[in-house]
Amino acid sequence: MKVDFWGHEFHVNMVVGCIGGFLIAVMSSMFGFGGGPFMVPLMTVALGLPMYIVVGSSLLAIFFNTAMGTMRHMQFGNFDLLLFLCMFPAALLGGYLGPQIAKRVSPLVVKRVACAGLVVLALSLLGVF
Amino acid sequence: MKQRLRLYPYLAWAMALLLALPAASAFAAEAGNGPTVAIDKTTLDNGGEITVTGKAPAGAQVYVEVASADKKVRANRFDGKKDPKTGKIPYKFYITQEMPAFYTILVPKAMQTELDAAKADGKGWKYSEVLKKTGADAAYSVPAKIKIDSYQATIMASIIGSRGTLLEPMDEKETKRESMKLVKGRFRSVGKLLAANVETQPDGAYTAKIKVPAGQAPGQYSVVVTAVTERIKDGDKETVKKAKSEAVTFENTVAFPTIYLDSAGTSINLLWPFVLCLAISIFGVLMGAGGGFILNPVLVSLFPLPHTIVAGTVMPTVLFSQGSGIYNYSKIKFINWKLGIGIGCAMLVGGFIGPKLTEMITLDQFKFAFGLILIVLAGLMFWQTTPGYLEKNKKEQAILKEFKKRAEECAKRAESGTTACPTDQK
Repeated sequence: MKVDFWGHEFHVNMVVGCIGGFLIAVMSSMFGFGGGPFMVPLMTVALGLPMYIVVGSSLLAIFFNTAMGTMRHMQFGNFDLLLFLCMFPAALLGGYLGPQIAKRVSPLVVKRVACAGLVVLALSLLGVF
Repeated sequence: MKQRLRLYPYLAWAMALLLALPAASAFAAEAGNGPTVAIDKTTLDNGGEITVTGKAPAGAQVYVEVASADKKVRANRFDGKKDPKTGKIPYKFYITQEMPAFYTILVPKAMQTELDAAKADGKGWKYSEVLKKTGADAAYSVPAKIKIDSYQATIMASIIGSRGTLLEPMDEKETKRESMKLVKGRFRSVGKLLAANVETQPDGAYTAKIKVPAGQAPGQYSVVVTAVTERIKDGDKETVKKAKSEAVTFENTVAFPTIYLDSAGTSINLLWPFVLCLAISIFGVLMGAGGGFILNPVLVSLFPLPHTIVAGTVMPTVLFSQGSGIYNYSKIKFINWKLGIGIGCAMLVGGFIGPKLTEMITLDQFKFAFGLILIVLAGLMFWQTTPGYLEKNKKEQAILKEFKKRAEECAKRAESGTTACPTDQK
């Protein structure tokens, strides 16, 4: 598929994009996380698109998944309003405070800390310790 | 036709007799020597301890069944394990809305060794076996009466996100058997479901301690004492002579900021999810991945929340931030709609299927799979800190900034009504 973006033309392999997007969507709606960290590498590495087209478009694609996943979870009765009400303001506040703090810390250090943290969390989930 | 009709009254009589007979005999047994029961408190404030005392027939085994009476929760189980007898995978999905939010049976103190053995089995312990070994199946009654819907699922039905076809209601025996599996799936640990602390004197007087931990459902709890006077073993069949006490009730209260989550069946201090969500979503912004990656496993590990509720409740929290992000990008025309909607359609289908799969897996499977996903994510993160990636990313970010600036300028120009950008998106 041909895609025009700000005067540049890109060839996108939609078969790879759709299969990858589908799998990420199943996973992310099944486990209830946003698929961004997987979507961006899919579009930049597997589809070979530059970052500036990916940032907005991947968000749009993920939004479809989140909206549908939310609807289906509600349909199956997996939604708890009270829990949602005490997390939603926190998520909004976090989204507001996050970028302010981000300016003051090195992204490289944060990523390395996050990396180590994720491994520890993963191992505890896998029951290693 | 006429003859058939004439048969009905006889059939009805026969059925009535069949139903009435066991009921009548059971009633006689209960009325004859039912244990007495008394509790020392009738209210609890977010959990606590209640002592049950009473008198049972001398030499009887005494069991105390405690269940929350007015708070029910959902429990479900997917049976995808091969049946060793038939060699077929049943693909059955069981769901109930009537599981008591709190349930436990106190067994005689002497049974502690059985409970310890079950605990040593780890996650694979079998509730029905432990009930049998401790003799507590004589007292198991509240969950045995819940209404369980069973669905025949097929792989195809699961793919299109349906629970499958609703099967005929199960009979009493099947319901009881399945209810034990649902109870185990819901409460998971031996310690929550059974405790060995009923002490009996030779004359039949007994004392037991009901421990209701903090964070349980508020409302009425009912306590029923079962005294087993005799067990007659006849080959595989066991006839149990038992007598049940009247039900006594106590009330558990929880006060703000602890609130009861209806669909999770537990009470939780609502500051906790708030603080956790705040900290994790800030960290999520910093590391460039959504907070859900950390929030979900932390919530299911720290709190007795079902994974279905966690997944289904965390997901909508990001809807708003995603929506506002899309709005901001679209204002400066920084979204390629063709690409976004194209891949979005595939993701729409994925999002349709995923939530169905959540309720088909157990909490342990959820945790395990999440662990694997996090390993992959950590790998991706690590790759993003390698020098090669950083250099490439630096260039990419510079181009991104340049384009974004241009786009913002264009949006401003378009607003002021002058000619649109020559490089505008088609």
